[in-house]
Amino acid sequence: MAKLRLDRIKPLVALCAFLLAWWIIPTTVKSFLKASFSEFQAPAWVATSYLDDLENFWARRSHSKVELIEAGREVARAKSLYQFNSQRKETLENEIQRLEAILNLPSRREFRYEVARVVRRDLNAWWQQIVIRKGKDFDIPVGAAVVFSGGVVGRVVEVGAFTSRVELVTSPNFRMAANFEGDKRPVVYQGLPQSGFGDPLGAVHDAPQDVLASTQRPLKLLSTRLGGTFPPGLMIGRVSWLEPGNTGIFQAGEVELDDRLLSLHEVAVLIPLYPIDLQDDVP
Amino acid sequence: MSGYDIHRGENPRIIFFFWIVMAATATLVLGLGWRQLIAAHKYEEIEKRQTERRVLKPGARGDIYDRKGNLLVGNRAHYSAVVYLDDLRREFREEYSKIIRAERAALKETYQLTPLKEREDSQLTPDYNELQWVARQNVIQRYIDQINLITGRDDAVSTRTIIRHFNEQLLLPLPLVSDLKPDEYARLIEQVPVQSPIQIHTDTARYYPYGVAAAHTLGYVQKVNPDPDTIPNDGIKTYTFKSKIGKTGLERSFDELLSGEIGAEIWRVDPLGFQDSLLDGKTPRQGEDLITSIDIDLQMAAETALGERTGAAVALDVRTGEVLAIASHPSYDLNDLSPFIPRKTFGEINERGAWLNRTLQLSYPPGSTFKLLTSIAGMRHGTLTLQTEHDCQGVFRLGNRIFHCHARYGHGVVDEAAAIEGSCNIFYYAEGLRMGIDVLSAEAKRFGLAERTGIEVPYETKRLVVPTKDWKRERVGSGWVPGDTVNTAIGQGFLLVTPLQMATFIASIARDETRTQPTLRALSYVEAQQVNHGGEPVGLTRNQRAELWEGMERVVGDGGTGRLVQIDGLRIAGKTGTADFRAHGKEVNLAWFVGFAPVENPQIAIAVMVEGTSSLDSYHGGSTAGPVAKDIFLEFIEHYPERAGFQVAR
Repeated sequence: MAKLRLDRIKPLVALCAFLLAWWIIPTTVKSFLKASFSEFQAPAWVATSYLDDLENFWARRSHSKVELIEAGREVARAKSLYQFNSQRKETLENEIQRLEAILNLPSRREFRYEVARVVRRDLNAWWQQIVIRKGKDFDIPVGAAVVFSGGVVGRVVEVGAFTSRVELVTSPNFRMAANFEGDKRPVVYQGLPQSGFGDPLGAVHDAPQDVLASTQRPLKLLSTRLGGTFPPGLMIGRVSWLEPGNTGIFQAGEVELDDRLLSLHEVAVLIPLYPIDLQDDVP
Repeated sequence: MSGYDIHRGENPRIIFFFWIVMAATATLVLGLGWRQLIAAHKYEEIEKRQTERRVLKPGARGDIYDRKGNLLVGNRAHYSAVVYLDDLRREFREEYSKIIRAERAALKETYQLTPLKEREDSQLTPDYNELQWVARQNVIQRYIDQINLITGRDDAVSTRTIIRHFNEQLLLPLPLVSDLKPDEYARLIEQVPVQSPIQIHTDTARYYPYGVAAAHTLGYVQKVNPDPDTIPNDGIKTYTFKSKIGKTGLERSFDELLSGEIGAEIWRVDPLGFQDSLLDGKTPRQGEDLITSIDIDLQMAAETALGERTGAAVALDVRTGEVLAIASHPSYDLNDLSPFIPRKTFGEINERGAWLNRTLQLSYPPGSTFKLLTSIAGMRHGTLTLQTEHDCQGVFRLGNRIFHCHARYGHGVVDEAAAIEGSCNIFYYAEGLRMGIDVLSAEAKRFGLAERTGIEVPYETKRLVVPTKDWKRERVGSGWVPGDTVNTAIGQGFLLVTPLQMATFIASIARDETRTQPTLRALSYVEAQQVNHGGEPVGLTRNQRAELWEGMERVVGDGGTGRLVQIDGLRIAGKTGTADFRAHGKEVNLAWFVGFAPVENPQIAIAVMVEGTSSLDSYHGGSTAGPVAKDIFLEFIEHYPERAGFQVAR
């Protein structure tokens, strides 16, 4: 009888022993174990992602020739537009460099970019983090800015061998400096807890009192180079209203974010070409 | 039946103890009732005092605008990185344990190495109190190092600062790094994790979009602890953030209006004094805005025209007395004094003598601009008529003294208008003597030159001198001599006035009254219609006034001393002045110009004074002060063409 009772509580004892061990072992070991587990899982995520791509490829192969020709034309048109924009950008960059040389100005921070596929997005942390398919193998650094065609996506918070974890702009743990379009004064953007899969929202605070926003004329909230992570002018969201904050000095409001953040497939990581120089960099 | 029951009611000892127990119980019950029902309020109060803390947060100050709604003084964000010590308690404990272990190990080692004979004197117990502060400092410094790494700063915290904060401001955040620049603020926002105990605290600092413009008049603020009278006296311990009070200028005069409403938070604290929960809160409110009479375009014109020279310029609305521009040089950028005045900046401003508001804090001899008053006094007294003429040969002999005219070979025969036009000293020496100092002084006093103007800016000088015989006897200790009268008649001698006074004087002449009440508040339409300057009509006949004004207009004419002020299409009446002045132990020139325009319907009155700073400076009213006034007149035409009498295409 006594033996039977002991058998019954064996799993409980094991669980308690595990929890006790987990509680006792040092934080560094815990971090190592967590990272190892993540690295162990990563190849599976990457493989799944490649399989998805292959699946998409075969799905496209099943399209008719006419559809493919039309798609090819679209691609050609887009490519020529991008080539044109690229040349224009190059000309402008040369012009900026020339003017900087004349005015003896320090150069702005420059970035290279790495385009990466999104390989994982947990349902229970949909608006908090994503995992992308590039890591140390592409020299992705922690803290790098992540963007997409709609603007800011987030910031790299963890880098594995082949994958990186990105804190999304929608996460309450994400905070960045920003400014309103046409106004150089910095304000603070921070993600908010999201409800379900509706339109994503963020919060802006420390907005000066003379900034006016309305639903008729929403203000664009853009990234600023002041923080050192993001290049300037990237879209964060739109602000339709601002109200006095709890300090009675500044205003606070909600930011309507790009709804394409709901379904991200591909993002670009902006990697600084050289380390930030706190003294000489243009803020 | 027990033994006790047998004796119940009979044994007097039991009865005695029974009643003792009853009395004691009744006492306890009554005591409990007293404390719970009657004295409860008292205990509630004590409990409240012990467990509640109040945090007062001052509201932002109101903004100051010019008459057209341009922001002159606003609030900018003032960022600092702070930490609430409550959030660091666990780290303090861990660091303390670590330090204690290390210290004990070190002491033990020292003890073991100490020879046996000396062991009795060696200390084995560490100083726990000191180590506690060291632990706290280490933890806080680690956070500051993190900030330094992100911002490139080199800040540190001292144990003294931490002890003071613990003892006096435990509920308030401890500033780690103050006065962050916008880029440092932005870097911290992005690179300090959201969960970090480091918080970015946003306060306000005064912001002056126009920098040096009207710096002395607008004034600056200083951070102070709030007035103890504003703190509720209910026994709850109160912590206060510093508030700002106006130290000078309009910030001081309108401090009550501009000061924001203080907000308050009531916190429940734990036995160690750290915050537990927020019980109540009231948001601070920004103070009221102030709209001034200053026109920033005219102000900037005055500032630019004065340039690097030392001096002052004041422009008044003739009708209302509203100050349109008021500039004093050398000046300082008010932004350099916000959020606090660095010692180096203070010293540098002090060295340049820039703290002084030369429009109203210093008084100067008015020079030949005073001849207008001599003319008015003479005409009212009857000694100066429209037919009066004097022959100016360049010198005027009085007893054995010779007084010169600035025209070496004289002006020849001049009447009043010509004397004003050419600023003939000889004419006014003679007229001064004819009317005497009593008449001259009385007239100057009638125009308010012996009194402060009462403008809303503090520290207006009391050193205003309109000399009389009694004044000289009392202050100088000698009797009045005719030489004093001739000097006074041309605005020299003991006479001392401020540029603001001269602006009110010329505005009064333009309105044909004796007083002008200057104001820095923008008046509403109704208020402007009801302005009472408190004076009386000057008392000249139409012809006398015409003669005076003709002379003044001729000053700005082709042959006048103020010809450089001429503007096509604008009739200006003015008077130049060049005075000798002793400042900083040397003789220097003072250049003056006072005038108003347009003559047919006076709207703006200007007084300009430029002060020489070295004996080598050769300043003259017409060539030095005149062009400054001209620039202000030009700006007035550009922004108020209709008032200046120019046709405006609609």
